[in-house]
Amino acid sequence: MAKVELKKLFKTYNKKIKALEDINLTIEDGQFFVLLGPSGAGKTTTLRCIAGLEKIDSGDVLFNDENITHDQPASRDVSFVFQQYSLYPHYTVYENLAFPLRSPMRKLPDEEIKNKVEKIAEMLKITNKLKNKATELSGGEMQRVAIGRALVREPNIYLMDEPLSSLDAKLRETLRVELKNIQLNLNATILYVTHDQAEATTLADKIGVLKEGKIVQIGTPEEIYENPNSIYVSQRLGSPKINILPGSLFKLDNNIPKIGLRPENIELGDGPYEGKIISIENLGSETVVAINFQDNEILASIQGSYKSSINEKINFDINTNKVLKFDNGDQRIHER
Amino acid sequence: MDTSRSYLEPSSFSKKMAAAIIIVYAVITLIPISWMVMTSFKNVDSAISYPPEVLFEPSLEGYVNLFTNRSRQSQEYLDSLPPPENWYEELVRSREMVITGPSKFLGRYSNSMIIGFGSTFASVFLGALAAYAFSRFRVPLKDDLLFFILSTRMFPPIAVAVPIFIMYRKLGLGDTHLGMIILYTVVNLSLAVWLLKGFMDEIPKEYEEAAMIDGYSRLQAFFKVVLPQAMTGIAATAIFCMIFSWNEYAFAVLLTQFNAQTAPPFIPTIIGEGGLDWPAIGAGTTLFLLPVMIFTIILRKHLLRGITFGAVRK
Repeated sequence: MAKVELKKLFKTYNKKIKALEDINLTIEDGQFFVLLGPSGAGKTTTLRCIAGLEKIDSGDVLFNDENITHDQPASRDVSFVFQQYSLYPHYTVYENLAFPLRSPMRKLPDEEIKNKVEKIAEMLKITNKLKNKATELSGGEMQRVAIGRALVREPNIYLMDEPLSSLDAKLRETLRVELKNIQLNLNATILYVTHDQAEATTLADKIGVLKEGKIVQIGTPEEIYENPNSIYVSQRLGSPKINILPGSLFKLDNNIPKIGLRPENIELGDGPYEGKIISIENLGSETVVAINFQDNEILASIQGSYKSSINEKINFDINTNKVLKFDNGDQRIHER
Repeated sequence: MDTSRSYLEPSSFSKKMAAAIIIVYAVITLIPISWMVMTSFKNVDSAISYPPEVLFEPSLEGYVNLFTNRSRQSQEYLDSLPPPENWYEELVRSREMVITGPSKFLGRYSNSMIIGFGSTFASVFLGALAAYAFSRFRVPLKDDLLFFILSTRMFPPIAVAVPIFIMYRKLGLGDTHLGMIILYTVVNLSLAVWLLKGFMDEIPKEYEEAAMIDGYSRLQAFFKVVLPQAMTGIAATAIFCMIFSWNEYAFAVLLTQFNAQTAPPFIPTIIGEGGLDWPAIGAGTTLFLLPVMIFTIILRKHLLRGITFGAVRK
């Protein structure tokens, strides 16, 4: 495994469309790094640049301080899990898993290939499918084989492009846990792309937030959640979404243009503010209540269920310590 | 009313109609072929008898005549010979002839094989490489080049027969296997490039990218991953190329005489006594039909689409 560094990476498509702008980031050896951002932010492009599938305009890619910017994909020794399954349909599951080990770069003896493939198949619980054709699998099995094909060797870095996005919710959760365990066991360096915040927070050691081809913040999941440096970053994590409200609404400080208030920092039932209930959404362990307060819609989330009805008046209070303050440019105002 | 079937499924009446139309069509197209096969098993007299004989006594005379050269001899000479050694000698002698040697058919037939399969392989191989390049790389003037390639088929190939004839004579390619392979490959290549490009476009590039990351060069990825998945297209293209070069007549007449003559110009020249030897011609065309038929049947399973598709989620 390796430390991976990107330095001043620029990439445009067709000489016009800016895909990446001045990307600088370091993924430490053994780190689970998650790139978070909406589609079109440049997450996949970043992965493809590291893998060598895209030529970059300028900048450097370093593996363990060695510059590999101009190396071919094959010689970079990285593995990639694509968003699509991309199994080789004319091969069996076994042959798919053995494919990277049989490459001219490695050419391992058959016995060793067999051991490695069987080990990885066991880990991903696909041992009984090894003889199947790749086309004879369910979606979940295909994606596990695709992940297995990446994990079967120990490359410099594992690159994963929304590997779980095509799976159903239950399988996604199972595989998410498995993936984290595998990473801890192998002490693997992983760069993982997602727009799913649950994946980002549960998997990541570090999160990098991308916006329109630029990295806007890097930090641990806690830092990104508690201490976002802009409204954009604050909206990446948290469900239900953070409330962005006019700064004057709660009369905290009239010089603040905007504030961000997470739904769990609102207490219902008692307090100085009075609003009207717009909707109540019971999610089981929590309930999301939408309140109209001086023509602003505010989402509050509380533990358990909430007994009330729509259009009823409601009193609430806010946790002023947790209020995030933003300036006119949507950037965070840090208190001194 | 029958409500058990789905609205999407055709009614039993339209299914029967479709079957009837297919059967009628099949019968119409198969009549000349079956007549040809029947003729090959007739003897010279019943082949030209009027009214035509549908029921006849089968004979292998056509096939014997196809493969042998014979000469007519007097009865006295025939009587002086030792008894015939095998059935075909006996058959020939009953017609008051003796076998003087094998005919040229086998040689012409193997010329057809060499030139047909050779040019098919060359067209498909070169076509696949070109199609892959056009499909994946940013080739300058791509559309113009593709149009230029297609434009070589906008006139009948025979329109350039004279220049090619002169060119081949200068280059010493006339009446050679290599010359005919090159010629048929050139004619087929535009078809191969266009057909295969369509198939290559449909293969997601993720496969090669995955293979390249797994440690293979682009060329290795092409052979290991792309070609197996293009099998459907390759099979279809190979059949088209094979049928063209196997059946081609005009250039073969013009450019070949002895060394590299293919079967099509040869078969009609099988002349019997006092007219064409129809059973022999029938036998020649029947045998001529077989390779293309077998080739198509072998590749047929690759023509069924969908066997390799589905492992990439689109």
